[in-house]
Amino acid sequence: MAEKSFETTSQVCCSTGSESLPILASPMESPLRKVLSRISGFVPSWGKKTAPPGRRIFHRDVEQDEFQNGTAHCLSSYYSVFVARLAIMVMLAILIGLLTVLTWHFTRVYTTKSLNTLAYGLRYELLQRPILRMWNILNSTSEITTAQVKLSEYVIRRYSKPTNQAEQIEQLYQMMKDITWALFASRKALNAITINYRNGFVQAFHRDHRSNNTFYIYSDLANYSISDTGSYDNKSQSSRQGWNDQFIHGNVSAIWYRQPLDPLTGEKIGKSSQIPPEDLINIAGPSQVPDGVASWHVAVSKYTDSPLLSAALPVWDASNKSIVAVVGVTTALYSVGQLMKELVEVHSGYIYLTSQEGYLLATSTNTPLLNNTAKGPKLMMAANSEDRVIRMGAQWLQKTYGNKFPPGHVVHVEKANLGGQHYYIDSFFLNLKRLPIVGVIIIPRKYIMGKVEERALKTLVILISASVCILAIGCVCILILTNGVSKEMKLRAELISHLDARRRAEASSNYKSQFLANMSHELRTPMAAVIGLLDILICDDCLTNEQYAMVTQIRKCSTALLRLLNNILDLSKVESGKLVLEEAEFDLGRELEGLVDMFSVQCINHNVETVLDLSDDIPKVVRGDSARVVQVFANLISNSIKFTTSGHIILRGWCENPNVSSDSGKFSPDQKKPMSALKTKLKHGNHMKKVSKKDNKMILWFEVDDTGCGIDPSKWESVFESFEQADPSTTRTHGGTGLGLCIVRTLVNKMGGEIKVVKKNGQGTLMRLFLLLSTPADGLEQQRQIDFAKHSVAVILALHGSMGRLIMSKWLSKNGVPTLEASEWNELTQILRELFHARTTNSGFDTHYSLAKPLRSKVQTLQDMKKLVYIIVVDLGLLDLSTEIWKEQLNFLDKFSGQVKFAWMLNHDTSNAIKMELRKKGHILMVNKPLYKAKMLHILEAVIKESYVEPQNRSPNGTKGTSKQGDSHECLEIDSTQFETCSSDDSDISEMTGANSVSSVGIREQLKEGTILKSGPPTLRNCLVEFTRLGLEVNNLRTEEDQCNGRPKFHDTKDVKCENPNSSEQPLVRSNVKDRDNSYTTNKAASEQKSLEGLRLLLAEDTPVLQRVATIMLEKMGAVVVAVGDGAQAVEALNCELDGDENRTNRLQTEICDSPPYDLILMDCQMPMMDGYEATKAIRKSEERTGWHVPIVALTAHAMSSDKEKCLKVGMDAYLTKPIDYKLMVSTILSLTKRSTKG
Amino acid sequence: MDLVQLQRQLVDYRTSLYHEGFLDEQFTQLKELQDENNPDFVVEVVSLFFEDSERLLNELSKALEQQVIDFKRIDAHVHQFKGSSSSIGAQRVQKLCIVFRNFCEAQNVEGCLKCLQQVKHEYSIVKTKLESMFQLERQILNAGGSVPV
Repeated sequence: MAEKSFETTSQVCCSTGSESLPILASPMESPLRKVLSRISGFVPSWGKKTAPPGRRIFHRDVEQDEFQNGTAHCLSSYYSVFVARLAIMVMLAILIGLLTVLTWHFTRVYTTKSLNTLAYGLRYELLQRPILRMWNILNSTSEITTAQVKLSEYVIRRYSKPTNQAEQIEQLYQMMKDITWALFASRKALNAITINYRNGFVQAFHRDHRSNNTFYIYSDLANYSISDTGSYDNKSQSSRQGWNDQFIHGNVSAIWYRQPLDPLTGEKIGKSSQIPPEDLINIAGPSQVPDGVASWHVAVSKYTDSPLLSAALPVWDASNKSIVAVVGVTTALYSVGQLMKELVEVHSGYIYLTSQEGYLLATSTNTPLLNNTAKGPKLMMAANSEDRVIRMGAQWLQKTYGNKFPPGHVVHVEKANLGGQHYYIDSFFLNLKRLPIVGVIIIPRKYIMGKVEERALKTLVILISASVCILAIGCVCILILTNGVSKEMKLRAELISHLDARRRAEASSNYKSQFLANMSHELRTPMAAVIGLLDILICDDCLTNEQYAMVTQIRKCSTALLRLLNNILDLSKVESGKLVLEEAEFDLGRELEGLVDMFSVQCINHNVETVLDLSDDIPKVVRGDSARVVQVFANLISNSIKFTTSGHIILRGWCENPNVSSDSGKFSPDQKKPMSALKTKLKHGNHMKKVSKKDNKMILWFEVDDTGCGIDPSKWESVFESFEQADPSTTRTHGGTGLGLCIVRTLVNKMGGEIKVVKKNGQGTLMRLFLLLSTPADGLEQQRQIDFAKHSVAVILALHGSMGRLIMSKWLSKNGVPTLEASEWNELTQILRELFHARTTNSGFDTHYSLAKPLRSKVQTLQDMKKLVYIIVVDLGLLDLSTEIWKEQLNFLDKFSGQVKFAWMLNHDTSNAIKMELRKKGHILMVNKPLYKAKMLHILEAVIKESYVEPQNRSPNGTKGTSKQGDSHECLEIDSTQFETCSSDDSDISEMTGANSVSSVGIREQLKEGTILKSGPPTLRNCLVEFTRLGLEVNNLRTEEDQCNGRPKFHDTKDVKCENPNSSEQPLVRSNVKDRDNSYTTNKAASEQKSLEGLRLLLAEDTPVLQRVATIMLEKMGAVVVAVGDGAQAVEALNCELDGDENRTNRLQTEICDSPPYDLILMDCQMPMMDGYEATKAIRKSEERTGWHVPIVALTAHAMSSDKEKCLKVGMDAYLTKPIDYKLMVSTILSLTKRSTKG
Repeated sequence: MDLVQLQRQLVDYRTSLYHEGFLDEQFTQLKELQDENNPDFVVEVVSLFFEDSERLLNELSKALEQQVIDFKRIDAHVHQFKGSSSSIGAQRVQKLCIVFRNFCEAQNVEGCLKCLQQVKHEYSIVKTKLESMFQLERQILNAGGSVPV
């Protein structure tokens, strides 16, 4: 089932996962998908866990389910860690990648940009300069041309007067030659200056840069007729047509001469030689200046390997009407190339200039610029350049742009791939008139950007490697970090599962407790029935002895079983936190005495002595849960008894007042001396302190000291665990469940104390604990000690148990009672003889007996004290009971009966014959073992009283005394038998304590009666009668003691009467006593009828059957029962009665109003209309105006103490469980009605 | 002779009732309460029980037929039934009531219905048994004998 559900969940998860992440889910690998599904499955699984707790699921299913959940949880957390890790890594990777890219990008882009700008500037600059130079050259050429023209004009004008024509022309030409030379020489860069006259005469200077020669070239003058000049004007138009290159070159008739000149001086250095026309240089003719303005063109010449720039300008005559000559100036572009070469060399780039048509004018390389064709050198296209780069650049440009250059021919290309390398290509357009020039610069990109790109690449590589490293390290770090986290997660998951497991365990333990608590009712009811029936059976007279024994045995077993049940229940109650401690006043001393009484019976069989040693400062009445306190000690003592085969068990108790807590340091392991020191110390300031401190918390220390086998120190802690025994093998020999000490510890802790095992000198175990109990607010701590010293009594303790004797004698002597100790018969006789024979005979008997020195000295001092009343406390065990010798011994003691009082310590199994014998002898003081303070006190008091009474009523002493003695003996005997049955059967503790306290009360009762009969003056007797009439059948110890104390003092006065009623009694304590007494008596005498005679009860019960049963039950006991069906009716009935009462009050006397209409209400808790709780609340509310308190007893089917709590909280007084236990009901009713009548 | 036989029959019958667990010591207690003051006490109480039980059983069947079942009410009824049956000592009915209550607490309708049937069944058995016992007693009384204790 669980598995199925789990599957469905995971399916659901898967579906939700795929729905929510359709893109991711489909291509995802299965593990990742699983992860997702787990994660998304996390929420529903949690939701499932926190399902309504009220739902009941079968345990196994739950476990399986939770287990599955746990594993799923584990896996999902594991996967989620994995995914988280992955996500963080991816994020880190992205981050680092981004960082890298950004860094690289910014560094690169900005560098590139700035570099590009710089490079652009550089390129521009580079290109500008050759162009400038070009411009310069052009300019200078044009200037020279202009200058030449101006000079020519001037000269020609001067010589234009046709006077002496030939001579003049000769002179003109000479002058022109000189002027031209001057100009030519001034400009070294000039290639040639030509002057072409109208008549066809040509004068030219030419400089051959290769051979560094300068020539003067002229045409043959003879061919030109001077007359021609005349036609010059006429034919100007037509001749102008004829001026062309053809004319010049084709002037076959003309003979050209060339005359080398000294380049510096211009002197003729050689003979002029005729040259063929094809050797001629470019001579500008009129054809080049057709419209009379300057013209430019690029020419080539045979003598230079660079293109020439030639300018032509006409020379006008004076009238400015006709062209006289044409001046041409030719400049080599060589220098531009030089410059470009220089410029670009550094940058390893290339520059070239072309004409607009694409002819190369200049390059930065040394490659030829001209094509040597058959017709002579010709200009070359840039695309045909021999230089590879230029060629490719030109080709690229042509290919890219074709003829459609962008306006202005300006091209900037940053990355042109030329033959596998990147270049910058920039071109500029220089728009010269008639000679537009395009400049192109090609710079390898590597030169400018090479370093940058290299750097960028390096940076990139470094960045990438660095980021990869960082990524790797980061991943490792994340792995390490998340490893810790995942470990923590795992741990946490484990912790969660552990917590879960613990919660489950707690829940199941709660179930267990709940179950046990619920079972308590079911279990205890039959047990109680069994025990009750056995009680009835025991009371039956017609049982044979064997049957009686068997029934007793059964009862013992039953009670043992019940006790075990109670133990387990107690434990579960404590564990489930349901144990609620009562807070009521109780007599601690008496409870403990009862306990010791009870256990001493067991111990005697074991040859173990039980001793109670309570210091005097222990408050008599404390507040707390008496049953639990007794349970603590009962468990401890029974535990001790279990392991002690011989020796003694001492229950010590002392008080540590918070006031003197500074003295607590004195409580060393060797506690004996400091304790007694403290005791005496406390005793002095005792009274004052107690009175001054109201309701103070006291720390009461207790020790249970035994001489058993002891506990190994390593087990000192663990013995308090449940089901733990120091030695596992002891279970076989000693039995027990191992629950006892566990309960003890939990109880002690609950009472604000602690218990631990303390190191002990010698054999055995010493358990020390302290309890934090508060003394009542009105704790009138009265010094109940009688000043025994005043009464001059002396005690001879003839007891077997050395420990008890020691403690008792110490206590006695501390209280001013001289004591003598004897541990065996012979010793006793010796002491007696010493004491009395010496006194009576005064003879030297003493030589006969050899007493120990200290003892003798003691005896001596006693002898010195006159008029001492001797009390001999004789252990019956001292007598030799096995034979008939004990009678002899008794006779022997009888001899002293005149001088001493005997108090006999009886064993619980002392036979009646002995008792009878003792009684016959007049030994009336008999108490059961063990001897403790309270008993000793009684003995002393009885003796002291007797000694007072005796002289007074001497005459009736004989008869009355005996009758009285018989009376008291009877009491004693009853007491002892009660004691026997109750303690020997080992019954339920609370029951036991009840019985015990009753038994002790019994003693007191007997004492009281005895004293009344013996000594009570009439007044006192009346007073007591009054007491009984008031319903105080049993007085508590206090009142008796008051009587005892008071009597000697107020013996003759009549004021005693008022002392008793006014004496400050603790009602609660007394009612406790009464409760027990009543329960006891009802237990004891089950057949007692009509115990509820005269009581008026209101029964609220809805179930008719129960109502009827309860009614009959109560009526049978004499009560008047009014039954109602629900809570509302109960309230109504009560109110009605109240009103009736009030009415009656008006009419009748006020007396009736003194008591409420009902003595008690029995209230079912679960009723329709109005349940018991509500009804009780209502009743209590309505009572407020009357001031009464009708006791309300809850009847409920639940036996839980929480129900009890609830009942008591709403104002109920007691609590009974269904089905109704007859006896318990009666006792409860009685205790409550008694209290209320009194109140 | 006849009387003696009747008496013996009654005693046997009664013992068998205890033996088979129909009755327990509570019934004994009930008998103890009967005396000359209320000679018909047991019969009275038992008939009270019958009346009460029939009423409760009716209520229960009605409550369980409802569309929306008020378990609290049923629980209260069963509790009452348990109380009354335990006080006359009808042990088996009482035990069934405990089971019933558990189902009630768990709000298990099926279980409740089943339990109701069982309770009814047990109740009718107890009723017939008790009635026949009373019948016997009456016969004895009519015959002039006394009911043996």
